[in-house]
Amino acid sequence: MRSKFAGLPLSHKISGIFVLANLLTFIVDIALLFAINRLSVDMENTYRENSHLNEMLEALEDVQRSMTDYLNSKSTDSLSGYYMAEQHFSELAGELDTIVSDRAYDRMSRNIYYMSEDYLQEVAQTIEAKRGRNVERYRILFEQATKKYEYTKTYIRSLNEEQFISNSVRYTTLARNFRKFEVFAVAVMFVVLFGTAVIITNIITNLIRPLGELAKSADEVTNGRLDAELPESTNNDEIGKLTAAFGKMMVSIREYIEKLRMSMEKERAMQEKELMMETHLKDAQLKYLRAQINPHFLFNTLNAGAQLAMMEGADRTYEYVQTVADFFRYNVKKQDELVTIESEVNLVDNYIRILNVRFSGDIHYTQQVDQRLLKVKMPGMILQPIVENAVNHGIREMGDQGHIFLKVYRDEGRVFISVKDNGKGMSKENIDKLLDGKWKYEENTGDSNGVGMDNVIARLKLFNDRDDVIRIKSEGKDMGTEVVISLPFDSDKE
Amino acid sequence: MEGSRFVRSKAVVYSILSILFAAAVFVVAWMYFRFIMGKGTEEQPEKIYSHYYAMVTDDYRSSFWQYVWQGASEEAASHDSYVELFGADLGYDYSIEELMDMAIAAKVDGIMVYGNSSENMSDMIAKATGEGIPVVTMYSDSPYSERCSYVGVSGYSIGLEYGRQICNARGEIQRLAINDPEKEKTTYNVTVLVEEKKPFYDQNVILSGIKDIVNRDESGAEYAIKIVNVDNSNPFSVEESIRDIFMEEEIPDILVCLSELDTTCAYQALIDFNQVGSVYVLGYYNSETILNAISRNVVYSTLAVDTEELGRYCVEAMDEYINYGNTSQYFAADVTIIDKTNVAEYLHKEEPDEK
Repeated sequence: MRSKFAGLPLSHKISGIFVLANLLTFIVDIALLFAINRLSVDMENTYRENSHLNEMLEALEDVQRSMTDYLNSKSTDSLSGYYMAEQHFSELAGELDTIVSDRAYDRMSRNIYYMSEDYLQEVAQTIEAKRGRNVERYRILFEQATKKYEYTKTYIRSLNEEQFISNSVRYTTLARNFRKFEVFAVAVMFVVLFGTAVIITNIITNLIRPLGELAKSADEVTNGRLDAELPESTNNDEIGKLTAAFGKMMVSIREYIEKLRMSMEKERAMQEKELMMETHLKDAQLKYLRAQINPHFLFNTLNAGAQLAMMEGADRTYEYVQTVADFFRYNVKKQDELVTIESEVNLVDNYIRILNVRFSGDIHYTQQVDQRLLKVKMPGMILQPIVENAVNHGIREMGDQGHIFLKVYRDEGRVFISVKDNGKGMSKENIDKLLDGKWKYEENTGDSNGVGMDNVIARLKLFNDRDDVIRIKSEGKDMGTEVVISLPFDSDKE
Repeated sequence: MEGSRFVRSKAVVYSILSILFAAAVFVVAWMYFRFIMGKGTEEQPEKIYSHYYAMVTDDYRSSFWQYVWQGASEEAASHDSYVELFGADLGYDYSIEELMDMAIAAKVDGIMVYGNSSENMSDMIAKATGEGIPVVTMYSDSPYSERCSYVGVSGYSIGLEYGRQICNARGEIQRLAINDPEKEKTTYNVTVLVEEKKPFYDQNVILSGIKDIVNRDESGAEYAIKIVNVDNSNPFSVEESIRDIFMEEEIPDILVCLSELDTTCAYQALIDFNQVGSVYVLGYYNSETILNAISRNVVYSTLAVDTEELGRYCVEAMDEYINYGNTSQYFAADVTIIDKTNVAEYLHKEEPDEK
């Protein structure tokens, strides 16, 4: 029953409560009205017997009078008057009780009933005797009738008086009871009013409470507290549904906001990354451009030199100049895009070749490249600065003992490119500094193309989207250094 | 979930409370209403009787008839009958004959009447019998009527009792005279008050009873019995007649009263004429006044009829006649002497309810 009530719509509940309250008041009012009606009917009936007896007395007098008239005048009028009076009186007498009980009224009314009967018989005989003109007989009968008339009258009067006295007592009691009941009725109505008010107030308060809680929560949400506690929905009415919907809505909003926040964060990170890459590239380019003097002029010059060498039959010179030209062309061309490992490896080849011309073939260069990985993409201008670094800081002062090993291989789904030298090695502190980007060394020494290790590391990190993109290993002083960079291997793109 | 259970249980409590509240209001209102109604409404008759007898007396107010009526009522109630002290409810005092006439007109089932030997009474009894209403005379008979039974006390045995009391009183006078020779006498004046309206033969039987005893008195004392007629033709004449006795030259030694009123009047006259101790009053009936007078040594003794028995016999006779068509012609109720030796037993006897 309770759950049925909980499931009703709010309007039904509220109207139900009001209908019930009104019904209760109505029933109480009807009951009180009924009781008051009963009491007033009782009061009205109090003197009913008295009026009946008075009427009887009048009727009795009418019979006697009409009989006397008839005996006096023998007129038709008086005879018909007598018949009417006789009928009326016998009707009234017929209403009397004829039981014998321990109540005096009952016995008296019984006696009156029979005495009236007797009297009427006597009167009828008298009238009959008058008709038969039996003067002596009707005179005697009249006397007897008159005597009975007196008896009956006395009896009726006595009963009337008795009843009047007892009815007066009864009336007084009834009237007092009526007053008492009036006070009681007012009290009952007040109690009902008060009780109904209390019950309705409590039920309505209970009914509306979730709405209040909802409003409070909504208020908190309005003030920006999205994590406000959500009220529970207990009923299935509109408030319950509203509360449930509000709760769901709040949960969805929270989820949506969370998603939005995450995607914004991602976007921001990506933008940041792009910006960083761009910045570093720009930095690299700037540094590079600063290092070159009009590359096109340089290329043309170099080309002219190469043609001259060829014309003169100096093949090695031609080759050298050509290599240098290629090297710089690459530097100019391949700055701002992803390149293949192959082109980076070629650049390193060119660079070593150039250096070997400069340093009379002192640098021993060995490469071990997994040919399948040559098409893997990577940022440009990465390997050459690493090799340059190995040459400048590792093996420069070793004469023809210096050795550079380049190795491209694949391990656990990633591509690794190792640049190893057998130079003077690096201390642990220097490695850490270099990896943290705090390593400062003199630039523009003439042997550098201007792209520093920090730039390389930063760009590698951005490209890989992770921090452990470069590893520098050195066994100790004069034990050489190995720089290993790792790149993602996307087999699909391959 | 806890909260919702709390709210639900609270709601259940409110529902129960409201139902209890409504029920309580109704129960209280209904009970109060019943209470109010019960107080004001007319009481219903407790019992309905199948027979209705009229008791017709000369004075329904006298405690004698009240006692008789009480005895009759108790007996009648056990026979599913009701005895009405006829005329008691009326606002006017009617004569016995008039009351008889009314009772006949009212078609009662039986009439118990304080009879007399008048012709008028006999006619009335005949009329009642003619209407099929049996009549029982009580205390005093209508010997030449068609009454079915007479319930009374034996006049002769009353006379015998009075005779014995006269002898006793004489003995006491003599005892007192031993110390006071002036009071010694050989002839004792006895005055018997007879009522004019009472059937003479009744009082005559009493007188013969008295005489039978005093004549056989072996003490040798002589009694001068004088019969004085008390005028009871109007309500106040009895008292005057009795006072006349005390104003005469010779005041009786022993005064015999044959009615309650005579006794009461004689008692008052004794005090008024300062004759207490010198006139021995032998009373009749055991009203409280008379009993008090005995206990104060003003009245010597009184003769009490067992009134309740009288009433009881009336109803018995009536019932027998109605049920079997015949009954004993004569029922005699007991007579007791009350003097100062046994007056205490009667003094605090309950008075009958005034009818």
